[in-house]
Amino acid sequence: MATYDSLFSSLGLEEWCSQGQSDAPMSMSALLAKTKGENTEPESIWDAPFPSMDALNESCAAFPQSRELTKGLEQGFLAIKDSLSLVLDPLTQPLSWFLDGALYAMLNTPWWIVIPLLLAVVYLVTKSWKLMAFVGGSIVLLAFIDHYDYAMQTLAIIFVCAFLCVLLGVPIGIAMARSNTLQRLIIPVLDMLQTLPPFVYLIPLIFLFSVTESKLYGIAIILYAIVPVIRLTNLGIRLVDKDVIEAADAFGMTPRQKLYKVQIPLALPNIMAGVNQTIMMSLAMVVIASLVSAPGLGVLVLRGIRNLELGVGLVSGLGIVILAVILDRVTKASLARINASQKQ
Amino acid sequence: MANDIKISIRKLFKIFGPDPDVALEYVRRGMNKADLLEQQNHVLGLRDINVDMRDGEITVIMGLSGSGKSTLIRHLNRLIEPTAGEIRMDGEDVLSYSEEQLRKLRRERMSMVFQKFALLPHKTVLENAGMAKAIRGYTTSDFEADARKWLARVGLEGNENQYPHQLSGGMQQRVGIARALVSDAPIMLMDEAFSALDPLIRSDMQDLLLELQEELHKTIVFITHDLDEALKLADHLVILKDGEVVQQGDPQEILLNPGDPYIVDFISDINRARVLRVRSVMKPGTEAEDNYAGDISERDNLETVLERSGGDTELSFRVVRDGQQVGSLHMKDLTKALVPTAAATESRQRA
Repeated sequence: MATYDSLFSSLGLEEWCSQGQSDAPMSMSALLAKTKGENTEPESIWDAPFPSMDALNESCAAFPQSRELTKGLEQGFLAIKDSLSLVLDPLTQPLSWFLDGALYAMLNTPWWIVIPLLLAVVYLVTKSWKLMAFVGGSIVLLAFIDHYDYAMQTLAIIFVCAFLCVLLGVPIGIAMARSNTLQRLIIPVLDMLQTLPPFVYLIPLIFLFSVTESKLYGIAIILYAIVPVIRLTNLGIRLVDKDVIEAADAFGMTPRQKLYKVQIPLALPNIMAGVNQTIMMSLAMVVIASLVSAPGLGVLVLRGIRNLELGVGLVSGLGIVILAVILDRVTKASLARINASQKQ
Repeated sequence: MANDIKISIRKLFKIFGPDPDVALEYVRRGMNKADLLEQQNHVLGLRDINVDMRDGEITVIMGLSGSGKSTLIRHLNRLIEPTAGEIRMDGEDVLSYSEEQLRKLRRERMSMVFQKFALLPHKTVLENAGMAKAIRGYTTSDFEADARKWLARVGLEGNENQYPHQLSGGMQQRVGIARALVSDAPIMLMDEAFSALDPLIRSDMQDLLLELQEELHKTIVFITHDLDEALKLADHLVILKDGEVVQQGDPQEILLNPGDPYIVDFISDINRARVLRVRSVMKPGTEAEDNYAGDISERDNLETVLERSGGDTELSFRVVRDGQQVGSLHMKDLTKALVPTAAATESRQRA
């Protein structure tokens, strides 16, 4: 006897309920009750359980239990998995090539080419000798303690993923800025991507792709890091001075001219702020992604946790901090340069 | 004065709200702005506007904030679509234009100057000046000479490679004007173009505009909330209130014969001697008198004449245009014209 027996009998569903009847106890508590031989007498209203799936199942065996929900989700996902990966696999294959290519190039180019090249890029985007010296010093330090390869792997992954985030995120942001409907549709998705614990979306990806493929962690990083660049592109374009837009219209700009000559240039400071955030978030994710075989400093962190190697964990963690500071400073400095050239 | 009509606005209505067509019916039946807002939840932008703007003249549309003047000017290049009515430009119905035709109109036949300048902050002064040409597909080298010429003309020689944020407000608006001039469009729309500038610079800019107009003879539609500015610039003055035209015509005529207590109120604060011109108060005719104290131009304002007379109310002057006498002005008539309208109406009522 359970609390909600009367509910089902009053609805005349007894017959339907008894179809699912089985003698086997369905839950642990029922099993315990059975072995103890306790008689579950009707309880007072004070003890009535919430009419949840499990509680209702006690009264009516045909009613599904809540674990069927998670099970159903899993089975549903497994059912569409093959056809889904049939579509997604070729679509995302270039990501694997990019990542593998970047990793190969970073590691197989001698250090005396890679380091000056990186420094040249830093100087090009920031025009600051001081910052370049700082970046140079940091990389030399990492290389000196034999973390050069790991750091370069992490950098290579971030470059590829951040680049793809911008490539995909900026057009999405622009489309959002142009259509309020699209904005209403996409914002909940972005909210979800941002609040979902990063570990959670590793799980379906593991089902979809093989763990040996680099696109697995690539997708995880991109999904996690693309949000700020979309948001800030959308925001930046929506914040472009209405007067300037009106002037563009009054002088007869086509929508395309308006986009490329007014909206994107004026939204650039915001877009760049989004790129900065995207890079920082890919760095955060690349560490977590080492759980699914992403190479780089994250692997060392993971080793530190697994084997409780305190020193390894601390040093690699410090390496990640150094990379974060470098990436943040460099993108912020280039952002400041853009801002300075177009303040109003 | 007998120029062709360049822009003609007929029976123009604009109502803002979710269902303007229904609201339009109420307005046509005579519902006023306040009732429309209260009962129908629609905002009356413009009601039954009929204005003709002549080629080569400055038409000034004046009104306080909320009178619909900015809405009206944006109808001319269809930045705002009207609810009902007709806008003709060179005889063509602008409202029937396709998107392509409209773009051509905005690119080639119209230019606009904005209250907040609306320059592109990431482009140099030179590139901003050539914006209209750049939009039409010209490269910088195509329009550079033109842009430099007009920038020099508005007093910005040497600033070509600066960015707008490096210039003061007055200089930025000069770029705005140069941008409109480089476009070579015959019609210039100026939306409160000088309102954001401080008074001295504003006066400079007004002089600059009049000077440019002397040689260019563009059709200028100028929006302002400042009566002094309106009277200084206008060939044709349109006064708007709550989306309706209260009075329009020659500004001198409006000043001497205000048709509405609202306008009387409006003009009571201005310096009449500075605004009124000799031609509006003189006695026309060529009959010669002997005791003229001197020659004055019909374009002189009364302040200049007062200055010349030294305050002597017995004098009279010969009014000339291009060296020919066109009338005469006795200082007594001049003094009468200076009596404020409100006071004049009162004394007439007492008599």
